[in-house]
Amino acid sequence: MAAIFTVAKQRAGDFPVRIIHGFCLQCTRKMMSNPTPRNSPASAFSPWHRLFRSVLDRLTVGLSISGVVMMLGILLLIFAVLLNGAWMAIGQIGWKFFTTATWNPVPGMDQYGVLSFAYGTAVTTIIALLLAVPLSIGCAVFITRIAPQWLAGPVSFLVELLAAIPSVVYGLWGAFVMSPWLQTHIELWMWKATRNIRLIPIGYYPGHRREYFPANLVHGGPSGSDYLAGGLILTIMILPIITAITRDVLQQFPEELEQGAYGLGATWWQTTRLALTYCRVGIFGAAVLGMARAIGETMAVVMVIGNTDRVSSSLFAGGQTMAGVFVNEFLEADHPIYLSAMMYVALTLLISALLTNIAARVLLNRISTV
Amino acid sequence: MTLPTTPTPEGYHHHEWWPRLVSFVAKILCSAAAAVALVMLFLILGYMVWKGISGLHWSFFTHLPLQEPMGMRNCIVGTLLLAGIASLIGVPIGMLCGIYLAEYAPRGWSTQGIRLTLDVLAGTPTILFGVVVYQIMVVRPQNFNGWVGHLSLWSHRVQSWMGITNGYSGWAGGLALALIMVPIIARTTEEMLRMVPLAHREASAGLGASKAETLWRVVIPSAKAGIITGIMLAIARVAGETAPLFFTAFGNDAMVYNPNRQTPSLTEQIYNYSQSDDPHWRAQAWTASLVLVSMVLVFSAAVRIATRKRRIRTR
Repeated sequence: MAAIFTVAKQRAGDFPVRIIHGFCLQCTRKMMSNPTPRNSPASAFSPWHRLFRSVLDRLTVGLSISGVVMMLGILLLIFAVLLNGAWMAIGQIGWKFFTTATWNPVPGMDQYGVLSFAYGTAVTTIIALLLAVPLSIGCAVFITRIAPQWLAGPVSFLVELLAAIPSVVYGLWGAFVMSPWLQTHIELWMWKATRNIRLIPIGYYPGHRREYFPANLVHGGPSGSDYLAGGLILTIMILPIITAITRDVLQQFPEELEQGAYGLGATWWQTTRLALTYCRVGIFGAAVLGMARAIGETMAVVMVIGNTDRVSSSLFAGGQTMAGVFVNEFLEADHPIYLSAMMYVALTLLISALLTNIAARVLLNRISTV
Repeated sequence: MTLPTTPTPEGYHHHEWWPRLVSFVAKILCSAAAAVALVMLFLILGYMVWKGISGLHWSFFTHLPLQEPMGMRNCIVGTLLLAGIASLIGVPIGMLCGIYLAEYAPRGWSTQGIRLTLDVLAGTPTILFGVVVYQIMVVRPQNFNGWVGHLSLWSHRVQSWMGITNGYSGWAGGLALALIMVPIIARTTEEMLRMVPLAHREASAGLGASKAETLWRVVIPSAKAGIITGIMLAIARVAGETAPLFFTAFGNDAMVYNPNRQTPSLTEQIYNYSQSDDPHWRAQAWTASLVLVSMVLVFSAAVRIATRKRRIRTR
């Protein structure tokens, strides 16, 4: 150790000054610099300190860049592993994977299509968004524009607390509290009210029963474990994130516009509507981010959605989501094409989540730069 | 004779009853939305406490699942073990990423790309991390080819050197959770470092400190509280993760201190118990939820309250 330091000390002391040409990390221009003043006679630091400092400088830059490289590597790894695993299924099934609703993993009868899972994800996400976006906007408006100072903080904190509850606990509550109650109350009422209303005929597929629009939504009767339950549990789960972002965006609404609106005689609601219109891009971004969360949510949905492979236009039918199918089947995928098809589902899920996230970020970044 | 005119009351501008009614109703509806959110929170937490408190006994923390008064000691230890491994891997990578973004990143497309990658990573469905770690560390590399196959092969060589005989291990679970932690910690670290005033850096540079010295001795010590908050919140977040652990840590009914073995966790045991018909096991799931949520909420609430005033030390 001592020998190394002696050599290092000599090197640090004896070498002539070298001007280092490099890229300035702040402005991306090529510049001349001497990062550590080595042989300057005016230097107040000991050679030991100068050595330590130059090592520290280089080590910090190198380590932080390697951290970024590792982070980029993680995303690359996810893509590579999923693509590698799905390669066989992509070759054998191809684009038909996205237009097939059959999922038959029996060896020899292999038929794989993501459509039924994608349908489950889409339906639950749409239900969640339809309910959560108005609720979240209401919450955010309450926090920013109605509640007095002493109330706004705690309410905001409690709504954010919803995000801290683990998803498996949502699932447990959903399966044992929400689903039975949904079945005996909400769904029963919906079913009684809607089952005989046949407005728009749909479903002309050969061999299928003819269906009519509002009645088909409650076909099969109240079950409790269905798309509706999945959508409702997702509503509660994405509420805090949409509320938090909408609240932050609404706080950006300029005081002058608010005062101007009131000065022109606008009521509270007219002013609030102005604020919501002013912040519409941010609120839309928040909704898209909530959508991304809903697409990727696994455990809570799996525990309430019923987990059947059929596709039905009824909200009271059980189904599966793209994320949920992994909990149910991934460890049972025992032959190569089955496992490969599962990885194809994973790839589809990754790409849909990725695109939604990018869309949300583009929208929200547009806000923060304005 | 002139008609009597109604004088406008002082400070009273709205004569029409309709906009005022709409405004009133909208206020009621927005308040109702906030009330609904809070009611949902209290319904979930209240029901969980009501169902779970009866099973809360010392034996819950000292016994194992298959012993007579059932307990979940192994799951609590396993959750802590997994969170520990995750932070061991995830915290350095996340912090270094945040340091690069806050201190060294040039303004330009490359940095925008890195930020977008972090956001995308933060929004990736967590179950996919489990699937990826399963493919690399758990499943036997048979039909693998290309560099992913080599990676899997090497990970299995390293695992057999470490003494991991079964593919499922605490290390795999911890790795999956670490991948979830990285973007969260990176973004918090970056934000916190950016909040340190420029004057501090300039003063440090004026005294002759280099960039890295300024970073380690001035900037990071000031932002320490905020960064620790971020790390704690990330740990609380991954302690509640379930989905990636199914394919990586897998769960265990025995007591596990060695992460080379299959490692149990509270979340996974909650799911397993919830799928059974035995009322005792279901009650156990509620109690485990209560313990888990208490751990997570108390942890994150305490951290938030402790550092709410000043995340950044300015004096």
